[in-house]
Amino acid sequence: MSPLLQGMVTILIGVGGCVGYFYAANLLLDRVIFPPSGRDPGRNISRANAVRPWLFLAPAMAALGLYLVYPVVGSFWRSLYNRDGGSFIGLGNYTDLAADPAFRTALFNNLLWVLVVPAASTFLGLIAAQLTDRIRWGNIAKSMIFMPMAISFVGASLIWKFVYANEADIGLINAIRAGLGFQDPIDVIQIPFWNTFFLMAILIWIQTGFAMVILSAALRGIPDETIEAAILDGANPFQIFFRVMVPQITGTIVVVWTTITILVLKVFDIVYTMTGGNFGTQILPSYMMSYMFKDDGRATAVAFVIMLIVLPVMVWNILQARKEMR
Amino acid sequence: MQLIRMAGATAAALALFAGTAGAQALKFTPGEDARFSWDSYEAFADSHDLSGQILDISGVWIGPDKDLVESVLAYFEAATGARVRYSGSDSFEQDIVIAAQAGSAPNIAVFPQPGLAADMARRGFLTPLGPETADWVRENYAAGDSWVDLGTYADEGGTEALYGFFYKVDVKSLVWYAPDAFAEAGYEIPGTLEDLKALTERIADDGGTPWCIGLGSGAATGWPATDWVEDLMLRREPPETYDAWVSHQIPFDDPAVVGAIEAYGWFARNDAFVEGGSQAVATTDFRESPAGLFSFPPGCYMHRQASFIDTYFPAGTEIGLDVDFFYFPASAERDLGTPVLGAGTLWAITRDSEAAHAFIDFLKTPIAHEVWMAQSGFLTPFTGASPEAYATDSMRAQGEILTSATTFRFDGSDLMPGEVGADAFWKGMVDYTTGRKDAETAAHDIEQRWSSIR
Repeated sequence: MSPLLQGMVTILIGVGGCVGYFYAANLLLDRVIFPPSGRDPGRNISRANAVRPWLFLAPAMAALGLYLVYPVVGSFWRSLYNRDGGSFIGLGNYTDLAADPAFRTALFNNLLWVLVVPAASTFLGLIAAQLTDRIRWGNIAKSMIFMPMAISFVGASLIWKFVYANEADIGLINAIRAGLGFQDPIDVIQIPFWNTFFLMAILIWIQTGFAMVILSAALRGIPDETIEAAILDGANPFQIFFRVMVPQITGTIVVVWTTITILVLKVFDIVYTMTGGNFGTQILPSYMMSYMFKDDGRATAVAFVIMLIVLPVMVWNILQARKEMR
Repeated sequence: MQLIRMAGATAAALALFAGTAGAQALKFTPGEDARFSWDSYEAFADSHDLSGQILDISGVWIGPDKDLVESVLAYFEAATGARVRYSGSDSFEQDIVIAAQAGSAPNIAVFPQPGLAADMARRGFLTPLGPETADWVRENYAAGDSWVDLGTYADEGGTEALYGFFYKVDVKSLVWYAPDAFAEAGYEIPGTLEDLKALTERIADDGGTPWCIGLGSGAATGWPATDWVEDLMLRREPPETYDAWVSHQIPFDDPAVVGAIEAYGWFARNDAFVEGGSQAVATTDFRESPAGLFSFPPGCYMHRQASFIDTYFPAGTEIGLDVDFFYFPASAERDLGTPVLGAGTLWAITRDSEAAHAFIDFLKTPIAHEVWMAQSGFLTPFTGASPEAYATDSMRAQGEILTSATTFRFDGSDLMPGEVGADAFWKGMVDYTTGRKDAETAAHDIEQRWSSIR
């Protein structure tokens, strides 16, 4: 069967199945289990209404349980076993991780990523949102900044590989260096410690657009009266921006910040394609990849460590997002 | 529901078509071309009649490779009357384990490397090929003992037997060079490892760059260096040491291993010996690294890489004219014969049947090798197959390296546990090449990783 036909059949079965389930389940509830007739139709109707939400929630809950809860529990369980999965070793995988210098490097680098990337993306996004709001070609500038969002991480890495190329004819950085009169090209990907920041630049480049779009919407939502009042009070533009506007969108900033933080903790593509974890740039997700399908016990242990780190950020993120909605 | 049933029926019909597509016409008409050993084909056809039987084969080959393997299988079908159903999958290594556990394994599985086959043998999923097949391989394959050892594994009870029959092999011990550049500078093809080192020094003294080396390969960055180390290991130490290293009977930081790493470093860590200097080695993509051979003046004179690298040569490159290769020479000081590093596919019986055993017998006929030799991408250590059958001179020359080998060893990093052979070893070699670690530290760190496996 051609993939197109296959896709269409899948969509038909999927959508039809959903509609069919809700329709049939509803019908079954109303006509067969609790029919609004018999001795006490009123009680049956209220019973049916009590059951109905669970009926409609059931598929989603089953899917979440199967694809989210079960894997989390299953991964943790797997991380307590050895490489073959045959013998129980308790927290052995975790103690091995703690003893592995490569894991510590990955953890340290990940900490840098979490500190730098969300902060830089949110800050640059905020600045871009404010600066592009009042100018005529602001929308064009915005689309340019937003465009990297549409590029996959691997695609972006390939583009930046050219920027960082170790040849003045190809690499932008080395071309600038050559223009300034430096003779030997440098391989920025191999500079100890700083190479991690060159990799971060790629993700910041991608995520700034996301921060800008969300924050731009939030900035527009600020009541004009507050700004007018500030102008009348004689505040300068910097004071208006940092003292009046930013405090009013703190909630949105936190949501953007935490969303990017969660993303940072799971992006392995950039390190994976740019350096493969070499030259001291390893981070936790790519460290996990080096064990995946080889030593699943160790890999799931890393996955669980990542989850423990993400969890508080995620809780904060959800709490903030809910506060925003109210 | 009607729709689902209809879709199911279509899929079944399509599967039926795919199954019969294997029965294609024979590529070379039997008896016509004198390059082929047709008498072996006829003798096999006369002694085997499997009419009505079905033989299922699973392997890694898809696309054009699938057509190639099916062109060989067609001769088995024509000779025996059996029907062969080949199915290729790029996730073969996962699929075959699942199929074996579920009891739905094919009759024959084509493994891309011995590790998985050894694992399946240990779990009792493979059928031994019998001592007569082992004797046959020992006698008819160059470096026969190596091939028997590579296909011999222990079963559930620990009894060792031959399970894997090697068919279709790749050679890695090749050094590519530009014949014109060599002729112009008056360089000669080195016959020994010592000559190769002397030539390297001479080219550097003449102001040229002897080597192009590139380790870059995305997430797999570093693997070309592991091939270097393995090749040098075979030229410095007896094959038993190599086997002990690969199976972790000696630690990774054993002096023999550190010595081989340093022998690689002699070439790669000298800025005068490699194009772009040793720092560039780690990030130059392996696919782009041979480019120096084709530039003028030459960016480099030699490039050590397996036979597949010709795919990445500039379009229109003619092997033998624009670029050629020689055997990565053995050491004259150490009497270790002519070792060859490579890889290959091994065929094993995953579900016993008369046709499966007949098929292994078919692989022992010269014609089974010659039909693929006459096409592309196939080398064989079988000395009974006629070298004239090779489609090109370069394939013939590579086949000759294989048939004149005294020792054959499988790519060691493929035999080590994944997190070592396909991660720690790669990264360790990158750290060593760039000078972040010395050979001892790099080897020690890899050993740490290996010994921490539970």
